[in-house]
Amino acid sequence: MRNFRLLAVSAAILAGVSGAAFASGDMEPKEETPVAATGAELNIYSYRESGLIQPLIDRFTAETGITVKVLYSGDGLNERVAAEGELSPADLVLTVDVGNLVGAKEQGLTQTITTPEVAERLAPEYRDADGQWAALSLRARVFYVSKDRVSDTALAYEDITKPEWKGRICTRPGDHPYNIGLIANRIAAWGLDKTRVWLAGVRDNLVSAPKGGDRDQVKAIFEGTCDLAIGNTYYMGVMLTNEAEPEQKDWANSARIIYPDANGDGTQVNAAGAYIPKYAPHVAEANAMIDFLLSNEAQEMYVGANYEFPAVAGVEPSPLIASWGKLNPSKVSLNDTAAHRKEAADLVDELKFNEGPQN
Amino acid sequence: MKSVGGIKLPPIGAFALAILMGLPILWLLGAGLFAATGGGGGLSSSMLPTALRETAMLMASVGVTTGIIGLVAAWLVTHFEFPGRRVFEWALMLPIAVPTYLAAYAYTEFLDFTGPVQQGLRALIGATTIKQYWFPAIKSPGGAVLVFSLVLYPYVYAACRSFFLMQSGSVGLAARVLGANGWRSFFEITLPLSRPALAVGMTLAMMEVVNDLGAVQYFGINSLTAVIYSTWINRNNFGGAAQLAVTIVLIIGLLILIEQWGRRNRAYGASGENRVPPARVTLAPRAALGASLFSLSLLLAGFAVPFGVLATLALRNIGVGEIDLAFDAGTTSLGLGLLGAAFTVTLGFVAARLGSRHARPTARQAIRFATLGYAIPGTVLALGLLQPLGQIDLAVNRVTMALMEWKPGLILSGSVAALLYVYAIRFLAVSASTLDAAMKKRGDTLLDAGRVLGVSGARLLVLVDLPSLSPALITAATLVFVEIVKELPATLLLRPLGLETLASVVYGKASAGLFAEAALPALLIVVVGLVPVMLATRYSDGRRKAG
Repeated sequence: MRNFRLLAVSAAILAGVSGAAFASGDMEPKEETPVAATGAELNIYSYRESGLIQPLIDRFTAETGITVKVLYSGDGLNERVAAEGELSPADLVLTVDVGNLVGAKEQGLTQTITTPEVAERLAPEYRDADGQWAALSLRARVFYVSKDRVSDTALAYEDITKPEWKGRICTRPGDHPYNIGLIANRIAAWGLDKTRVWLAGVRDNLVSAPKGGDRDQVKAIFEGTCDLAIGNTYYMGVMLTNEAEPEQKDWANSARIIYPDANGDGTQVNAAGAYIPKYAPHVAEANAMIDFLLSNEAQEMYVGANYEFPAVAGVEPSPLIASWGKLNPSKVSLNDTAAHRKEAADLVDELKFNEGPQN
Repeated sequence: MKSVGGIKLPPIGAFALAILMGLPILWLLGAGLFAATGGGGGLSSSMLPTALRETAMLMASVGVTTGIIGLVAAWLVTHFEFPGRRVFEWALMLPIAVPTYLAAYAYTEFLDFTGPVQQGLRALIGATTIKQYWFPAIKSPGGAVLVFSLVLYPYVYAACRSFFLMQSGSVGLAARVLGANGWRSFFEITLPLSRPALAVGMTLAMMEVVNDLGAVQYFGINSLTAVIYSTWINRNNFGGAAQLAVTIVLIIGLLILIEQWGRRNRAYGASGENRVPPARVTLAPRAALGASLFSLSLLLAGFAVPFGVLATLALRNIGVGEIDLAFDAGTTSLGLGLLGAAFTVTLGFVAARLGSRHARPTARQAIRFATLGYAIPGTVLALGLLQPLGQIDLAVNRVTMALMEWKPGLILSGSVAALLYVYAIRFLAVSASTLDAAMKKRGDTLLDAGRVLGVSGARLLVLVDLPSLSPALITAATLVFVEIVKELPATLLLRPLGLETLASVVYGKASAGLFAEAALPALLIVVVGLVPVMLATRYSDGRRKAG
């Protein structure tokens, strides 16, 4: 008998502890913001950094009274949505890359976005044909080159495999979605064989094994480790205006942007966007958020604060971006590019791109 | 069943605990097998050789360097007297407060092109770009070995030091009588004798290397953990990631065998009766200076540099936003740490009971299995938990829907419960071993006395059992708390919506190239990490006074 009582006690302790654990979900400080009058809420899973997206969210809450909770993570949010299945609290997933949007659709994680704004405001190439995702802003993947050590004003993608670039190129790891997007775009444009030769050429011109993020590559140009780096346009804008870490202004000032293939077939463009998960509990609020993010006001914030290209036609890029010259977007569509992601990832592995130069 | 111990739980409890704690590994084994037989995802073989090579290289190098540094430091402070020795004896443990990912971020700030070292160097030689002079890249395999070694050597140091202290001074005396001095006694007596302690310390250090995700990603090293992460996240290949994870588990298994070998018998330690307190030889001035400088440089490189970098950055970037960020994340980490400590220590108490020396051998084996989580990388545990937790939630919701037309939603996955669960798996060994040691030391007489006085069951637990263990319970809870605050990969992958801990904030900022903005949270992590060092110091001081 005694055994049972003791068991019951320890079970009670365990239950008490775990009970407290469940309750603690509400103790978390950020959630104590006063519930808006509408009582409506929206749960966002965001691949985007909080610094870029929080001002937009604050504006949305101010305008609609909808309380927004966000899970920021650079990685793994689609995997979370998939594992959580029909119980997932996610109402909206904000991605930084069209690959994640198309991937979510392929995995059956999405539902149709019902707001008519998507079709009205976005050109067909910037939204899914079946309405499963929408682009919100565009970014070009470009070459940052050293102002001091590089004189070229125009470069094609093929140019950076030439011997003159040996030991002068930096980029982040090849399997990062941004680089996968670039390689997939090349496969769509050139076919697998030409891309393999090209990527091996880029690999062998790298200064070392790829590491860090896009900002780190700008820093590498500043310090003289490399002369050309592959990165996204908006990082330059964000760094040039970084008051919190002013030294990043110096990094950015050491480099300038060349749009690859600007005079040829055009520069690869990627899209940050959104999808509504299949089991989203607050579908109406999610659609309202997409409406808001496509509004001129939000698009201007994307452009003004984040130095991206607007996804909505008619909104002008910021003067800083305009000063880098005219973007000639690649003829390959976002969907075509995304279709080659798996081949691109396999190519990165096959060529051991992340191990750096081999010849 | 003999009447022993405070609580008798049926042996089935041991197996239940083993299954509960082993769930992620069992799930990954299943998923790995499924993938290998062509089920899903397919084999991710193309990255395996690279990952194995880079991991093995890192482990071997860090193992050797921490082994040398830790052993020599422990040998010096226990065998010799030199200026500062009394301070160094505990201060040499300080680097353990710096998690590997923070060490990597801080050292990058320090040694990178824009850091003070290279700035000074450039000012000295009048250079402007890195092409004009040679300086080793910190973000490289060599840099990783350096950073890991500087903060992980305390594992070896602690193991060797306590081994030397346990050892009878008579060995050293005999050696000296027989004419072996200095380095000769080190190579011919100390080194062979301390092999087991060395093995324990080195394997613990190497387990930390395998566990690390933040530092290897930052330095661009394709270690197994980093490749598991990218296989899963960037390639949507769960099966491939599971296979890589199983590979890691095999490597860890090998390390555990080595560790067990190190602990297999303590016959090298002297028995109580003929134990002569080790006498320290006062070193000649030049040798003493060498010993002091060696210890000091370890302390500077392993602790002062990372701590100083974090403190400088935190002060330079201090502002309302930074304080807010650190406060929010700090409160979350505090809450999670407290809850996690309570839960893990409760489970640790149960585990220590179930695996006590009175238990059946099978139950003890089961408990040993249940505590193996300390060796499994957080990334692997998270990978193995995400799917089964989702399935359990789904099943629970289906049942409640059928019975009550009510859906409780996510209970385990993406909730604080998932974090508490993964923390319990990873840190059960910390709490169970602390409590087990305390129970052994206390013995059963107190409980038997309680029973004689007619106290039993729950009252015995509350009135006698728990109070008599309270120092150990507090120690165990503190150790678990600190580990939780430092933990990165599992927290990153399993944390609930809207929840940012100190570690996740630091990781997020560092991966976005904005580490300086997260210096304050990083500093808080290190300060919390100092607590166990303080505890250990107080404990050993108290023991010395008592003795």
